[in-house]
Amino acid sequence: MTATKGGCFGKILEIDLSKQTYKTREVPDEIYQKAIGGNGLAAYFLTTEYKAHKDPLAEDAFIYIGPGPLNGTFCVSTRTSFAHMSPYTGLISHAETGAHFGNEIKWAGWDGIYIKGRSKKPVWLSIVDDKVEFKDATKLWSKDTEETHEAIIKGMNDPYARTAVIGPAGENQVPFSCVIVERFRAAARSGTGMLMGNKKLKGLAVRGSKGVPVVDNVKFMEMATYAKKLAVEKEAWQGIKRWGTAGLMEQNNFFTGSLITKNYQTTWYPDVVKIGAEEANRKFWKRHVACNHCPIHCLKLGVIREGKYKGLIAEGPEYESGGLLGSNLGMTNFNDMIALIEACDAYGIDNISTGGVLGFTTELVEKGVLKPADLDGLKPKWGDGDTYMELIRKIVYKEGKAGKLLSKGVKKMSAEIGKGSEAYAVHVKGKELAAHDARGDKARAYSYALGSCGGDHHEGASTRALVIFAMINSLSTCSFASALIWGGENAKITVGMLNPLCGWNMTEDDYWTTGKRILTMERVFNVREGISRKDDILPVRMRTEKLPAGPKKGAIFTEEDTKKMQDEFYSFVGWDAKGIPTDATLKAYGLEYSIDDIARARKEYNL
Amino acid sequence: MEGKEKKLPDLFPKETTRRGFLRGTAVAAGSAVAMVTVGGLAAKAAHAQAAAPAPQKDLMKYLFAERENCTGCRACEYACSVYHTGVVRPSVSRIHVLKYKDSIDVPVVCWHCNDAPCVAACPTTPKSIIPDPNHNGIILNEKTCLGRKCLKCQEACPAQFVWVNPDTGMPLMCDMCAGDPACVKACKDQSGNPQGPCLMTNKLGFGVNLAFRDVKPNEAGKDLLDLTFYPNVDGKRPTPAKTKKTRRS
Repeated sequence: MTATKGGCFGKILEIDLSKQTYKTREVPDEIYQKAIGGNGLAAYFLTTEYKAHKDPLAEDAFIYIGPGPLNGTFCVSTRTSFAHMSPYTGLISHAETGAHFGNEIKWAGWDGIYIKGRSKKPVWLSIVDDKVEFKDATKLWSKDTEETHEAIIKGMNDPYARTAVIGPAGENQVPFSCVIVERFRAAARSGTGMLMGNKKLKGLAVRGSKGVPVVDNVKFMEMATYAKKLAVEKEAWQGIKRWGTAGLMEQNNFFTGSLITKNYQTTWYPDVVKIGAEEANRKFWKRHVACNHCPIHCLKLGVIREGKYKGLIAEGPEYESGGLLGSNLGMTNFNDMIALIEACDAYGIDNISTGGVLGFTTELVEKGVLKPADLDGLKPKWGDGDTYMELIRKIVYKEGKAGKLLSKGVKKMSAEIGKGSEAYAVHVKGKELAAHDARGDKARAYSYALGSCGGDHHEGASTRALVIFAMINSLSTCSFASALIWGGENAKITVGMLNPLCGWNMTEDDYWTTGKRILTMERVFNVREGISRKDDILPVRMRTEKLPAGPKKGAIFTEEDTKKMQDEFYSFVGWDAKGIPTDATLKAYGLEYSIDDIARARKEYNL
Repeated sequence: MEGKEKKLPDLFPKETTRRGFLRGTAVAAGSAVAMVTVGGLAAKAAHAQAAAPAPQKDLMKYLFAERENCTGCRACEYACSVYHTGVVRPSVSRIHVLKYKDSIDVPVVCWHCNDAPCVAACPTTPKSIIPDPNHNGIILNEKTCLGRKCLKCQEACPAQFVWVNPDTGMPLMCDMCAGDPACVKACKDQSGNPQGPCLMTNKLGFGVNLAFRDVKPNEAGKDLLDLTFYPNVDGKRPTPAKTKKTRRS
């Protein structure tokens, strides 16, 4: 047990909402070396503190908000991980978000915030350096994320504070509700909003005045400056700076053949020119906005200039939000699409899952499986923005038949509806997929099928990238400004920054071991809940239906593709043919404490 | 009159560039007396140069923030705190970026006004803050400064620029990094695609900076929000109430 030397403070803020108290939890340096921080540290807490089959909404269930060692330092574009057991999928889950929130936690002198318990009445937390206050949020309850953000900033009496809040969706326990950070960024996909709503925690605001200690500043700055230089200069990323990720909509339609369209029926959507980056540039965008220290400024803000939403300031479209709520719903009206995206942000609900649910519903109505009578008389059809807007509202408030059905998510919907709807249900491990169709862009299948959260596009698009992304989600840095730009130099740069920062002696081999260890910890948690090789697959549609049109016409994700992908990954991280970490692997990664858990799971699920 | 004329040499470089030439003619057109005064000063300065090292000509004297170009990346805060303390720590950064309604980023800089209200407000004798004659950066004397007990400079700054060091209680003054501001370099380094840099030095904008400095960060944010998102194309701009309504419908 040694104290941390640099990069981390060695202490986590532990908040108990039931008792409205807080304390400091000391974390020794060894744990940081093992699990780094962010998502990795959360995986460590989840596997050591939770027994199998924990109720994700239990009173003592926790949310870990984790920046990593690199947050708050000179490292370019750092992020925050919101990790916990997901009430949506019942598996381990982490959501990363950009903006300045995570750095502010570090500057307040904490390595992370661990929140458990359940408040009796709504509260929001004010964290200013060492001082934590529980503030009454009764008046904020049922307010949307923008109003809540403004009210909390006002309550902090400090315009420089940073916030993370939930909207009505989280309060109403919609399982794919999210946390909105600083109004326009979302930590989504895991149901963090539902968990916060369950704890009656409306939001957090953080402000810090400290600096992160560095062991060898000269060496650290050298490597951090080099890493930043790559982010500034690398040619492949100049397009993201100009067009944001919206530029991928056109690219993936015309070249890659992976822009999802109309509930993953095809990847050819010529109308993308009406809703893509070029249109956004012509009639919507006004500003580029960056996360901390980032030269890429991929977030674009704009204002709707005509029609009934005139005057609405909104963010996007990003590739995922524009894909799921644009081409996936057959939208051709740009302003309607932006309004849907902004409505999701305002309600605090995940763009991707919402888009998936709406697309699925529309196809079922089109195929006659669902009747308007099942949807309170609403008849969604492709491109019908007004009906979609009404459906989103119904989902958020779980209103009527439609709201109750749709707010369950695609997996449970298809199980309830039956009638062959399983064939159109696009989800992995109970979570909807993002906007890259894995038939056109086969590398994405690694992230969707093998990533620990399921259906997640942000977990690395190759065997090695899965390990790299496990690291960057723990560090926690941005995939655009770090992992993808550093490319083959990932291990060298990360180790080159971490060693002088934290006073460690990591080698490049240790980098890979650490990444694999984090993936294995997450896997242990999922295996305990019954996940194995049979679950690491893509949805039926991608394995059985060929792409009907577009640049990748005829493409399909075959059984061989699946087998090759699984075998390659399992052997790389040291899991057996069933996708279960072996005892030898657990020992090699120093996770002996999980051997019994795995043995029990093997018995329970007959693996 | 004489005080006004004295400031002219500060505004422009001294070589006979086109600007320098224009300055000469402007002064000549102004009054012959002024010409003599300036000439006299120059002669005095030339005399003084023999004893003291000459002020370097390429040093920067003003900061300027092109607010519309700011993306809110805070590279300037990072660079400023690294220059002054070695590590990243925005709470001791001189420059800072205000997020206004999370839609607008307002860089809050020291404009290095010629009349420096902060210096005028400093109650100590001699003054604890003085503009460095070489580069116009405000130099703080920590030995004489009363720190948290006084902070008259913070009150006096119309741009609400001055923050207080949470450890020492001393006001955080922009010292222009001895003439080569780190924030400007950092901003320039990562700008350019597609926007130009936000921070600049010596780009005076015809004295606009002196008008800018009277605008509080919050007011600047409000102005910029309207300017960016609601340019007056049809003579109307949506009221906030209307915006709120459309958002929910």
